[in-house]
Parts: sequence; structure tokens; C-alpha cells
Amino acid sequence: MSGEVKGLRPIKIEDLLQRTVYDVDEEPHIEIIDERGVPKELVKLCPCSCYSMVGERLLYSYEGCLECGLCRVLSEPWGLRWEYPKSGRGVQYRFT
Amino acid sequence: MSNSNVPSKFDVVVVGAGPAGSSAAYLLAKAGFKVLIVERGRGAGTKELYGGKIYAPPLREVWPNLDKEAPIHRWVTTERLSFVWKGRVTTLDFKLGRRVAFTTYLTEMAKWMADKAVEAGAVLVDEVRVDEIITEGGKVIGIRSGPDKLYADIVVDAEGVNRILLEKLGLAEKINPDTVALGVKEVINVGKKAIEERLLLTENEGMAWLLMGDITQGIPGGGFIYTMKDTIALGLVLHIGKAYEAAKSGALKDTVPMMLEKLRVHPYFSRIWRDADVLEYGAHMTIEGGLRYMPKKLYMNGLVVVGDAAGLLLNTGYTIRGVDFAVYSGKLAAEAIIKAFENGGPTEENLSLYEHMLKQSFVYKELVKHSGIVKMMEDPTFFTKLPAIVNGMMGKLFEADYEEPTVLEALLESFREEEMSLTRFLLKMFSVVSRL
Repeated sequence: MSGEVKGLRPIKIEDLLQRTVYDVDEEPHIEIIDERGVPKELVKLCPCSCYSMVGERLLYSYEGCLECGLCRVLSEPWGLRWEYPKSGRGVQYRFT
Repeated sequence: MSNSNVPSKFDVVVVGAGPAGSSAAYLLAKAGFKVLIVERGRGAGTKELYGGKIYAPPLREVWPNLDKEAPIHRWVTTERLSFVWKGRVTTLDFKLGRRVAFTTYLTEMAKWMADKAVEAGAVLVDEVRVDEIITEGGKVIGIRSGPDKLYADIVVDAEGVNRILLEKLGLAEKINPDTVALGVKEVINVGKKAIEERLLLTENEGMAWLLMGDITQGIPGGGFIYTMKDTIALGLVLHIGKAYEAAKSGALKDTVPMMLEKLRVHPYFSRIWRDADVLEYGAHMTIEGGLRYMPKKLYMNGLVVVGDAAGLLLNTGYTIRGVDFAVYSGKLAAEAIIKAFENGGPTEENLSLYEHMLKQSFVYKELVKHSGIVKMMEDPTFFTKLPAIVNGMMGKLFEADYEEPTVLEALLESFREEEMSLTRFLLKMFSVVSRL
């Protein structure tokens, strides 16, 4: 089974997230409180790549969050403030 | 909850307008209870994501007109299971003799279920995130959202897999990463005609297709393909504990979204959706082994726990059952609550009936019966070797230039290539299965 279907290339996560509808809140619903309690492996594992390393620092941006809860499960309770978005904000699934 | 049309005291408050919450709300409202459903999303369904297939029989017990009224996309008439390894694919294709499961968007289905509850008299308040279940003297008395409090005789916790409220209440412990899986999913706009032509389906016929092998890069889990009316759901389910280990050890090459994208452009599978756009991308956590995820108790004075929050999901690797278990638990909760009120109220003792009924039901029995295979699916020996051995054997049988091996030779040789002996493999399988 050689050869790819012509023209098919993996979509980058930034572009993939464009397909999903969000109503982004002004305030983040998740925040890193103490980096030591949040594993760097989330850079690879977070399904929306909300986690990234900038130098030695682990950063989180909430805008693309899909509210799956993975980072809450893998982090220490004191590492993250984790809440669902309020007032119906956040991801708005349509066909899932 | 400042809406003045909403009274401040209800008989029942249901947290979460998902399949479990809405089925309980529907049956309780029908029985004459004053029911409030509180949902964090914008309308019911907007936070829902699952694979794509629902087993109908348990739902028909709640909504007898399900087949006529529900937003069913296709009835599953073909089940496929594929072993994928290094570009080779071996597929089992089964044509069902009767219709038991259908495909749909859970976003749509959850809205339908919530609408049914509202038709029956329940009140749905959306865009409200519940922050706490309030107790007084060991009894649940209501819920809190921000500064607002709402009181009820009983709260039905249908908050889903991320059981933040139950943890705060002390009824569930922090989630163990080995008991949950991460699901990621793309919805691809293939079009009705192309779906039917490419997958040999007629109108209303659907396919459920599970994939197992190197598509998950060594992490226990698998892929899924479900045909909707006009679209195809494509996804991956990954064991979180093992995914974390793989990422930590450096064994994991790609990010999770890239793993799914690589499946989408896979040389074989991609020809089904070769010319179609991705309409939506999403992720949701799911339960890996139901019994291990189940809280110690599913009830307390003034509270019952239903659906995913109660750990009621079965993932055997070849079937995944969550929505029907959730609905059935909602039904049992409603029946237990009705009985409890007949017997003087939702006390701890009266509500213990719910757990009793659940443990007598097919839901719990299924979870117990299949817990062996759930464990087996997590075992790397089984999980990574099986797709390799199956495809190795098929390769030897069908890719021979001149001399074909016998089936036994091909089997033994592919075991040898994977540095496994047939006896050890069988013993391993036996030991995993016989642990339960």
C-alpha cells in the first residue's frame, strides 16, 4: 500500500481548531497556578495543543480549549485552577 | 438562575442535560414531579461528544417511539474491525442480521432527549454552571451556581465524566489516569452519496468500524469510523495513563491531534473521505474501565449519581456502550426516586434502592462480565502484538512470490517475528481473562 491519496496532508492544529465553533469568554476558565504541578507532557497530549513550552516555561492558553478535562486529570490539584467556562461560553459542538 | 419564571424550589434538580440527566428528568416529570434540569452549555447537546453509535433497545424502554421520533442518522448494518500494522490492514466485516444500534450526533440526540423532558413538564435552564452540591447535616439540599442557591428534595448528579461536583462532595476521589481515556474526533463532510457508494451502504444503512494497531503509536486504545447521514465521524481513543507514560519516556512521536490527522491521511482509510473537508474537531474524556471508575456509593441522602459520573461505560475494544447505559441508569434512578417518595422521601435508606436496582440490571452485569477484556485491551502484549501478528500472518499467506506457507507456518512465523511464542501468547491471554 504505497503512496498517499493525492493532496491529502495533515492539518496543523491551529487550522483544525478553526473548524470548531467557540464563544470565547473574556476570562480564562483554566489557569496554571504552579507549573511544578502541571506535567510538560501536556504539550503533546492536550488535544487542542493549548499547552506550549516557551523556553523553560509551560504556558497555557484557554481560547482553543475543548473542555475535555485531560489536564485536570494529569495535574496536581494545586497546579491548576480548573473550571468549566461559565454562562454557556467555550466550545459549541454541532456535529459530534 | 435569576430568571423570575423559574420557581426557587423544585422536587428534583438534575445537574446536566445529557442522556442520563434528561432520561431521568423525562420520567420524573411524566410521573408528576417538579423537575429542573440545569445545563452549563448553550442549550442541551452543545458540550456533548462521543464516538457515534447508540444501542437502541435500552432507549426504547424510556421512549417507546424512539425509532420514529429520534434524530437517527443510520441503522448500523455493517460492523467492521480492522487490525492496522505498518501499512497492512486486515478487516473483519460483519453484516448484521437485525438492527440494534444506530448512528447519530450526540449533540442532536441530547437536544431531542432534553426536549422530551421539557415536553413532559421539566424546566430546562441552560448556560448555568453548577459550582457545588449543597449539603446540610449530611443531607443534600440543593445546588449553588455562583452566588445563587437553589433547593430541592433530591439532586440527580448527571455531570458527566469530569465529576467535579462529586469530588467536592467527597463522594468520588481524584480521577486515576489509568481509568480514563481521551477521545478525539473529526467530523468529515463526505456527503450522503459518496458515503453510500464508497462503503457499500444503501440509504439509512450505516457502518460502525473500529480500528486497532499502530495508529495509536503503541498506546492502548483504537480508532473509530462511524457513518452519519452526510458525514463521517473519525476518531481515536487513547488510554490516558499509558499515553502519559509514552509521552514521558519520549516514545510518543506525535501530538495527539497529529496522531488523528495521520489517521485521516492514512493511505488506505483516507480514500473514503479523500475529497472531503473536516467540518469540526473535538475532544472528550471517556471511561476506560467502568468498574474502577465507579464511585464507592452511587447515592446518599438526597442524591443519586447517574451516567458517566457513575462510571457506567463499557469499552471492550470491539464495542463501546455509554449512551444506552447512561439512559438506563437515568431510568432506574427515576424509578427509585418515585419509590423513595412513596416510602416517605429521598432518604439514604430509600435511595439505596437505586444502587440495588442498578446492580441487578444488565448495565452492571455487563460491566462485571467484560472487565476481563477491558484489562486485556490495556495489556501491551495483547494490544500491540495482536495487530502485528494478524497482519504478519496475512502478509505471509498472500504476499508470497512463489511458495506459500501453510496457515500454521504463517502463524508461527509471524509470532516468531514479534518475538512471541504461541504458547506464551495464549497463556498471557488466559491469565488476563482468568483474573476475573
